[in-house]
Amino acid sequence: MLVIRPLRETDLDDLYAMAAAAGKGLTTLPADRELLQAKIRRAEESFSQRCAPEAGLYLFALEDTELNKAVGISGIEARVGLQEVFYNYRLSVTVNASKELGVHVRTPTLHLSNDMTDTTEICSLLLANDYKGGGNGLLLSRCRFMYLDDFRKHFSEKVFAEMRGVSDEQGHSPLWDALGSKFFDMDFSQADRLSGLGNKAFIAELMPKYPIYLPMLPDAARAVIGRVHDNTRPALSMLQAEGFNFNGLVDIFDGGPVVEAFAHNIRTVRESLSRYAMVVNKPINTSVAPEQRVMISNRSFRDFRVTTVPVDCIGPDTVSISREVAEALLIESGDPVRLAPLKDGGLSAMHGARGQGAAGDKSSPRGHSYRNRQGQR
Amino acid sequence: MWRVRPAKLDDLKPILRIVGAQAARLSSTLPKTEENLTRAIEQTQASLSPTHNNRKPRRFLFVLENTDTGEIGGTAGIDSRAGNGQPFYNYRRDYLIHASHELSVSRRVEVLYPSHALTDLSLLRSFTIKDELRKTSAFELLARARILFIASHRDWFSSHTVVEIQGIQHPDGRVPFWDSLGRHFFNMDFESADQYSGQLSKTFIAELMPPNPIYVTLLSDEAQQAMGQGHPLAEPSQQLLRQEGFHPGCFLDIFDGGPVLEVRTDSLKTLVTCQLKTLHGSHHDQGDQCLIAAGEGDQFRCLLAPVSETLSGDVKVPVNTWHGLEKTAGDQVRISPL
Repeated sequence: MLVIRPLRETDLDDLYAMAAAAGKGLTTLPADRELLQAKIRRAEESFSQRCAPEAGLYLFALEDTELNKAVGISGIEARVGLQEVFYNYRLSVTVNASKELGVHVRTPTLHLSNDMTDTTEICSLLLANDYKGGGNGLLLSRCRFMYLDDFRKHFSEKVFAEMRGVSDEQGHSPLWDALGSKFFDMDFSQADRLSGLGNKAFIAELMPKYPIYLPMLPDAARAVIGRVHDNTRPALSMLQAEGFNFNGLVDIFDGGPVVEAFAHNIRTVRESLSRYAMVVNKPINTSVAPEQRVMISNRSFRDFRVTTVPVDCIGPDTVSISREVAEALLIESGDPVRLAPLKDGGLSAMHGARGQGAAGDKSSPRGHSYRNRQGQR
Repeated sequence: MWRVRPAKLDDLKPILRIVGAQAARLSSTLPKTEENLTRAIEQTQASLSPTHNNRKPRRFLFVLENTDTGEIGGTAGIDSRAGNGQPFYNYRRDYLIHASHELSVSRRVEVLYPSHALTDLSLLRSFTIKDELRKTSAFELLARARILFIASHRDWFSSHTVVEIQGIQHPDGRVPFWDSLGRHFFNMDFESADQYSGQLSKTFIAELMPPNPIYVTLLSDEAQQAMGQGHPLAEPSQQLLRQEGFHPGCFLDIFDGGPVLEVRTDSLKTLVTCQLKTLHGSHHDQGDQCLIAAGEGDQFRCLLAPVSETLSGDVKVPVNTWHGLEKTAGDQVRISPL
């Protein structure tokens, strides 16, 4: 069984192996043992609330319970830009116009900004190659939104993700070559690595502070501004399906887009259901297609667990789960759980299972959004 | 005999002919249409008038005239205040250090800042001369006569004087600095922009020029090389101006990146070395060739003549020079050696 749980110290080796296999381009998780260990420690402090809420870094592991091994990771950074400065370029338009001459010129312009400061970032998604497919990536990514919504006060209203921008196999980024490298004697992969090691703000000190007029950059560089790396396209589609949109900000190095959504608009949040767990002894057929599975979380802050169960286990008030699932989620019969569709098609399946009882909603402050949805039907 | 005097409306047609022959090769701030040139001459006349309001900027256009044939050989102008009451635009070439202590990296970054710093300084402009006169002493006469004019009307001019030297332009008309910068924002070719800046109010520059500083490293290599470089054809006048004490500072032309030369007005060599003398006649052509200027306002005349000095602060020049100067014996003149 695959279960989401907080990342632990013992995951270091697995995490390192994954980071090393991922190679270049994963800025937030470089293959650096010390750095990874520091991240894990920060995550442990966050889950046990031993650090200030705004310093929180919530890292989740996807564990294969049979192998007792972490096979994926994803994270939420509670607030960016508070310890150091968080930079983006804002892609905006400068208009120069002269009525006298009948000239009206629109110039796309990059402005250095710190607009995402104090905002929650979803980050650090990484899945071992053997586990790709079957909805595992979705579980790893979307479980975060259930956590985010259950513990809203730890996070900002707005949530964003930085998408990896365009670079080639050799690690050359057209934007970096045309812009960053002119101010900083370093190739992109080196700058990117430094940035992952926590030196991004230092690098930003060397970057141009005045607006950059795009017509002054070569076409190759202009073409990649706001575009994602081919490998990141599925992740972008997933986030777009959740309601995330490009917000006009791009990465200062590679021009990758920032996408954002308000927490209450995120689809996983909107389409969540509250139920009580009912542990049943009769066997449950768990080998159903991803479309027929739903995420189920134990709604625990300190020991957050999520796995998937077949959609037809959902009853009007309860969700039937096996003893094995209950143990994995650290729950017993009668405990509240949260459910959300795993795949885009999962919603219709859940509709059928909804019934009329919304007992769980009464105990859940999030229930009203679900009621609104029912009211529309 | 060549002499320099303030332009009159009669000079309109001959000046336009010079402009027509020159425009393609060396652009100048000289107006190129009849209407604008008329205005420039009218402004000159108004600026020379004793009733001119002293708080208002003055603009002068002088012509190089052959007193024997009436031929006009060139023009030269002065604005008492650059911008003429409007902002005067330049780029200031400056540097920033981008440094990171943690990474022990430090980098010098060259930046062009839009600047109005030269507004209201005195400006030499509109220098145009016929090709066949370029290598003659008339060239120097035309260029330096303006400084003698400043010397005789010092109160009208500012503490500093500047002059914009035309920047690099390829024979096919391409202007690398413009192509890499201004073209993106003004959406027109260099010639049009240059023309507009000569004749329209400067409002269009304020409207179309990028408001933020420009990183030099993002300009094309060709444009970077052109920064602060004068056009080869402007080299003789640049040399002459340097001899006068002009030197390049940190300002560039916003269109072609040509250098702006600056000098303290009171340090202008011709202004410092010229002397007031009393005019007398001589009947021979001996003596050193000197610039000799006389007259105030619209009576200002400047020409070249062999001068022999006497001990008492008098100068002797050939009598026919008097006619050129429209002066007679006993009048005050200002002389400066060639």
